[in-house]
Amino acid sequence: MKRVALYAAALGFIAFAGFPFYWMLLTAFKQNRDLYVGAFDTQHVPWIFNDPPTLEHLRLLFGQTDFLSWVWNTLVVVVAVVVITVAVAVPAGYSLARLSGRWGESLGMGIFFTYLIPPTLLFIPFARLVSLLGLQDSLGALILIYPTMTIPFCTWLVMGFLRSVPWEIEEQAMIDGYSRLAVILKVAPRLIVPGILTVVVFTFTLVMQEFVYALTFISSVDKMTVSLGVPIALVRGDVYHWGALMAAALVTSIPLAIVYNLFIDRFIQGFTMGAVKG
Amino acid sequence: MTQRKRMDRREFVKTTTGATAAVALGPTILRRRQQKTLKILQWSHFVPAYDVWFDKYAKDWGTAKGIEVTVDHISLADLTTRANAEVAAQQGHDLFQFLSPPGAFEPQVLDMVDLVREAERQHGPLIDLCKRSTYNPVTRKWFGFSDNYVPDPGDYLKSVWTEIGMPDGPATWEDLVTAGPQIKAKHPEIQIPIGIGMSQELDSNMATRAMLWSFDGSIQDANENVVLKSDQALAALQFGARLFQAGMNPAVLSWNAASNNQALNARQTAYILNSISAYRTAQDNKLPVADDIFFVPALKGPRGTRWASEHVMGIYAIWKFALSPDAAKQFLLDLIAHYRDAVMASKLYNFPAYPGSLAEASVPLAQKPAAGTRWLEQATANDPFGSNPPNKLRPISTALQWATNIGHPGPANPAESEVFDTFVLPTMFANVVTGRMTAPQALDDAHQQVKRIFEKWRARGLVAGGAGDRA
Amino acid sequence: MIARRSWADREDVLGAAMLAPALAYVLLLVGVPFVLAIALSFSNAAAGSLSFGWVGAQNYAAILADPIFLRSLRNTAIVTVGSQVLVVVLATAAAQVFRVAFRGKRFARFVLLLPWAVPVSLAAIAWTWIFDSTFSVVNWTLKTAGLLHGWLYWLGDPGLALVAIIIVQAWRIFPFATVIVLAGLSSIPQEVVEAAIVDGAGFWRRLFRIELPLLLPVVAVAVLFGVVYTATDLGVVYILTGGGPANTTQVLPTLAFQRGIQGSDLGQGAAIAVFLLPFLVVVAVAMLRLARHTEVGAK
Repeated sequence: MKRVALYAAALGFIAFAGFPFYWMLLTAFKQNRDLYVGAFDTQHVPWIFNDPPTLEHLRLLFGQTDFLSWVWNTLVVVVAVVVITVAVAVPAGYSLARLSGRWGESLGMGIFFTYLIPPTLLFIPFARLVSLLGLQDSLGALILIYPTMTIPFCTWLVMGFLRSVPWEIEEQAMIDGYSRLAVILKVAPRLIVPGILTVVVFTFTLVMQEFVYALTFISSVDKMTVSLGVPIALVRGDVYHWGALMAAALVTSIPLAIVYNLFIDRFIQGFTMGAVKG
Repeated sequence: MTQRKRMDRREFVKTTTGATAAVALGPTILRRRQQKTLKILQWSHFVPAYDVWFDKYAKDWGTAKGIEVTVDHISLADLTTRANAEVAAQQGHDLFQFLSPPGAFEPQVLDMVDLVREAERQHGPLIDLCKRSTYNPVTRKWFGFSDNYVPDPGDYLKSVWTEIGMPDGPATWEDLVTAGPQIKAKHPEIQIPIGIGMSQELDSNMATRAMLWSFDGSIQDANENVVLKSDQALAALQFGARLFQAGMNPAVLSWNAASNNQALNARQTAYILNSISAYRTAQDNKLPVADDIFFVPALKGPRGTRWASEHVMGIYAIWKFALSPDAAKQFLLDLIAHYRDAVMASKLYNFPAYPGSLAEASVPLAQKPAAGTRWLEQATANDPFGSNPPNKLRPISTALQWATNIGHPGPANPAESEVFDTFVLPTMFANVVTGRMTAPQALDDAHQQVKRIFEKWRARGLVAGGAGDRA
Repeated sequence: MIARRSWADREDVLGAAMLAPALAYVLLLVGVPFVLAIALSFSNAAAGSLSFGWVGAQNYAAILADPIFLRSLRNTAIVTVGSQVLVVVLATAAAQVFRVAFRGKRFARFVLLLPWAVPVSLAAIAWTWIFDSTFSVVNWTLKTAGLLHGWLYWLGDPGLALVAIIIVQAWRIFPFATVIVLAGLSSIPQEVVEAAIVDGAGFWRRLFRIELPLLLPVVAVAVLFGVVYTATDLGVVYILTGGGPANTTQVLPTLAFQRGIQGSDLGQGAAIAVFLLPFLVVVAVAMLRLARHTEVGAK
């Protein structure tokens, strides 16, 4: 009985989370005339293929759009932003947690609060800045701007994470004759790995989600990221290419969900330790 | 290498045949010797075939001129965002195509007067609708160069309207109210007998304007005074509520630009106000409904007035900070000279801003507009793109008699653009049909909003009027 | 000994050096633009002319007198609170399920993570199609199952449209919250739970009296996260309803975008966006307090 309830509940959650993806899958392979049928028509079951499935939408996505370049651009931006974020936020977090005494905490809080500034507000000043630096219409603009969102949050996260890591290991190393710097370079990195992993996943999520800045700074179709290029190319004002749109959503989210699934435990470890002690 | 470039220059000057143009453009050519690129940004055209043609045309044009041309396409709804970003950055494309009058950007764009004069010298006059969308009489500035407008006829399902005794579709707004319940009775599966949007999107903006004007109301008068609050507008608003009761449902309050096309193509509505792109999509997707879609011109109001907004209107602007303004200007002149190809590439979606540009080259200037109009009539009367019957597009060839600009009866200006872009009119109608406000309340609410917007732009000296504003 | 103390041992030097890049980044790339943006909200800057004309608090006065703004402020609160309540309930419940081992759990977890992996702009487009009043599969299913007698205009009815927005926001955030809560559950000391069982506490009692209080800090962090994601999000509302019908679902980011960017009134757009900030700061402070406080208390 308890087992049944458990499976029922699990099914319920899977249905809620997964239903839109089932719908995407269906739509990605449905012929248009199978798709555009009003919901009043109870004879036409929308949950299945009423006409044979078609590859037409996939052909549109892969053949007539720059989808693969968008995927590549997204990866380039993600890697660059991850590198910058880790290089800047991890030392800062360490400094705030271990080296800065009492004011470190308030400063960390201050840095965290900049994360709360809504993007709609910074849109115009950023446009100005990007052009001053000559980064208009290049991935460089995104690589420069995205860390403004990742660094504050990740600094704070790493700081909190380190607070929950016992100080004894580093202390022992110093007793063993390491200089303070040597501890930072040789001992600390090993301790922070779950924290870093969290930073990576967080950055990944953000770059995948972001739309407004990408729209502002990138105008060449071949330089877009996935979250921008797909709607730009496949929502043609008064025609939504539903099939291709849904196919793109599936193709991007499935591999990512698999990766997240692999790393989830360590991500969570880093996240909860970091955030709760922050 | 330098030699070649100089040759191109000479050739370039030669192609701008008129002395006027040479004088006007001369200085800019000399100043910008280095230029080799031309960057164009425009929408993803509703008829995808147009983009294929345009990109190739632009590339070939660039090859012939020794200029590297790039064309970027983004979706219609993102144009303003992009324009804002380019202005903030003071950097971006040389040619930026808007789809509705970009009044707000007037201080940032070049005056196109020389270009308009030259195009008129080559092809005959620019149509009034386009002039009123690109010329600000207050500042006497041409803030854009229009290459096309797109008619916004009614699209209806002939089989359905035949069953209720109107085989030629509706002729007046009142016909829609009559037809609504009849269609509902005969076809319970049609969810929205009359599919006119009242939401925050382009088609709704156009449809609500058409209703207002056909009832003899308007937002501003010819002198840019705010006159929205009128008995006529109130009548239009009350009519809108009646129409909603008779043939629509709340779905139209949430429509986006694609919704009416989808509904028509799925036979979920029997009448929409849209360009022919909905029909072209049905054809492209080989949906059987395509053969059942026919067109009617703008509907008549109670006193016989009939107006529809243009569906969209192609308006190219050249930023003051553009790097290749002269190449951009030349590109536009050459584009107009090839407009017959453009009209065909858009499958008769784009209508020319200079009708004379469709005439044969041999036709004398004075006869060009008439000849061009004749050509367009013939093309729409015998659609080369697989219409059945081939003459079903004929009603749109009369568009010039009933299509007008968004500032009607005055000019387009930044205030009208803001009213348009913040969807004040569709919201006014939606406020009434949802019962959130009475018609007089909603009208007053919209009127006050419009007045605030106009006053703001008057303070900047871009909009006239004020003395005649209604309270 | 003191002489050997080189800079490599001086914590203040090292601390400053390691903090400097982050501080510089934040000050230059967030601080300066932020000040500019605030200045913008006191100006009459328009899209076409970027010259700042100081207009004092005029923009603020204008929006505070504007019923649409007040509505969007209210909607922001409703959507944020509504979706987060839903998230907390769903996540706590889902965590109870997923802590137990069962067949197919890996696959189930993969499906659960999908909403977190999909770009929000694409997910919102998919939901637009699901909720499209004319084609809605939800309506079809309810109707065919005999559960629906009228018709649901998901995005066309002001109330339902807000519900739809809340559902989508909850949908995209609850998987993330679930994994956070799961982690929190696994860190609860086993002895505490066992002691409760020995005392004869049932499932519900255990959940509400023992586990939930211990989970509070973790949940607070999840909520903080969800609030920031939801309140600053432009995409979901913009794509689902565009703020309609009749501006009844506008939230602060969409209204700021519509007025400031689409309507070209940058000053007013900035003023509207500024209102998000105090809202977020209050929530952040409250949640972090809650997280810290309870943690100390639990010890």
